[in-house]
Amino acid sequence: MKKQIANFIVNGRPYELLVESHMTLVEVLRDQLGLMGTKFNCGVGECGACTVLINGKPRLSCSTLAVTAREKNILTIEGLTEGTTLHPIQKAFVDHGAIQCGFCTPGMILSAKAFLDDNPNPSKEEIKEALAGNLCRCTGYVKIVEAILAAAEVIGKKRRQFDQSKY
Amino acid sequence: MKPFEYFESGTVEEATQLLAEYGRRAEVLAGGIDLVPRMRKGQIQPEYVVSIQKIHGLDCIERDGEKGLRIGALTSLRTVELSPLIRNDYVVLHEALRSIASIQVKTMGTVVGNICVGTPASDVIVALFALGARLKIVSISQERMISIENFFVGVKQNVLQPGEIVTEVLLPIPAVGTRGGFLKMARTATDIAKVNVAVVLRIADDRCEHAKIAVGSVAPTVIRAKGAEEILKGKKPGKEIIKEAAEVAAKEGNPITDIRSTGEYRKEIIKVLVRRAVERVI
Repeated sequence: MKKQIANFIVNGRPYELLVESHMTLVEVLRDQLGLMGTKFNCGVGECGACTVLINGKPRLSCSTLAVTAREKNILTIEGLTEGTTLHPIQKAFVDHGAIQCGFCTPGMILSAKAFLDDNPNPSKEEIKEALAGNLCRCTGYVKIVEAILAAAEVIGKKRRQFDQSKY
Repeated sequence: MKPFEYFESGTVEEATQLLAEYGRRAEVLAGGIDLVPRMRKGQIQPEYVVSIQKIHGLDCIERDGEKGLRIGALTSLRTVELSPLIRNDYVVLHEALRSIASIQVKTMGTVVGNICVGTPASDVIVALFALGARLKIVSISQERMISIENFFVGVKQNVLQPGEIVTEVLLPIPAVGTRGGFLKMARTATDIAKVNVAVVLRIADDRCEHAKIAVGSVAPTVIRAKGAEEILKGKKPGKEIIKEAAEVAAKEGNPITDIRSTGEYRKEIIKVLVRRAVERVI
């Protein structure tokens, strides 16, 4: 496949990019779009640091050929922040000390977001299972799980406030 | 990764035509969670990659009358894991999928892809052996059904010829009273198994009417522990019978020593897991 122009939708914005078939999504996000939040770590699909959401589902961008992500909604960690307002999951990670070196963090947060979107009221065990594809060498995972539990509560509260405010 | 020519097939016909034309110079792309990392490592360097991702009708789990339950080639491991149909009627497959830790891998990877990679340590394949699954193989000129037990001929080697792809897995409808369970021992929650075991049994009138025991990671392919099955069949599955069956199962594998475990330990663990799995299912 020669270099072809392909349409991508990243964090809600459309991009026309020149891609070759052998390029992975993580390379395109980082090198062509300058979105450095998505980390390149093991590069072989075993650590989860490169996790992005594609149409709401968590996928490994190091193991995704960029051409296969055309025309799909891609969410990177940069897409969670609204201006300078942190997403509740990001804030919870900060507040609960769930970040040490920060390298696993974008992948962790995106996996957590995909999980909480479908499971708003999880147990600790369910959170651990949902994040099993994301490795962390620093924290020992305890505070990460606590942060996600806390974020679930905050998101739930906001949802209930919003529902009540409609009346 | 080495550059390659990329095709997105719109139909199975297109895909099989391309695969027949390019033979061993081409690889199929479904989920890509095995293919892409191996290409990144340089372990395989295909000149052509034929994507089947855009083919309609391959992402499905549906009952096909009395034939059984069809799982299409693009159905992800995660979809199958979360399916109530699978959780209710094919518990052994549900448990096998639960034992695979990474949600991302399960979201991207497909059941059929996992089968076609064919590692003898595959949790999915072990469960499918115990379920008596069959595969539909399609080429440009014909279709054929094959029992999953006849699909593998060696470590990660199967009977597919150039131009053939597996389009679905068919699970037989379980008879009333059939129960199953899956057990795995690994170094960590995310690691490949040292040994994995799947058991499907049917008890009628206190006796074991049907038994399939599959063991993975102890031979070049997943195996059926047929000696162990014979011990159980027709008998009341009491402690002594189960112990005897487990001991026979341990002799049926030929496990190697590798980075994950020694052959001796694996032999012992076959015995333990078969006993535990049968006891749990009863």
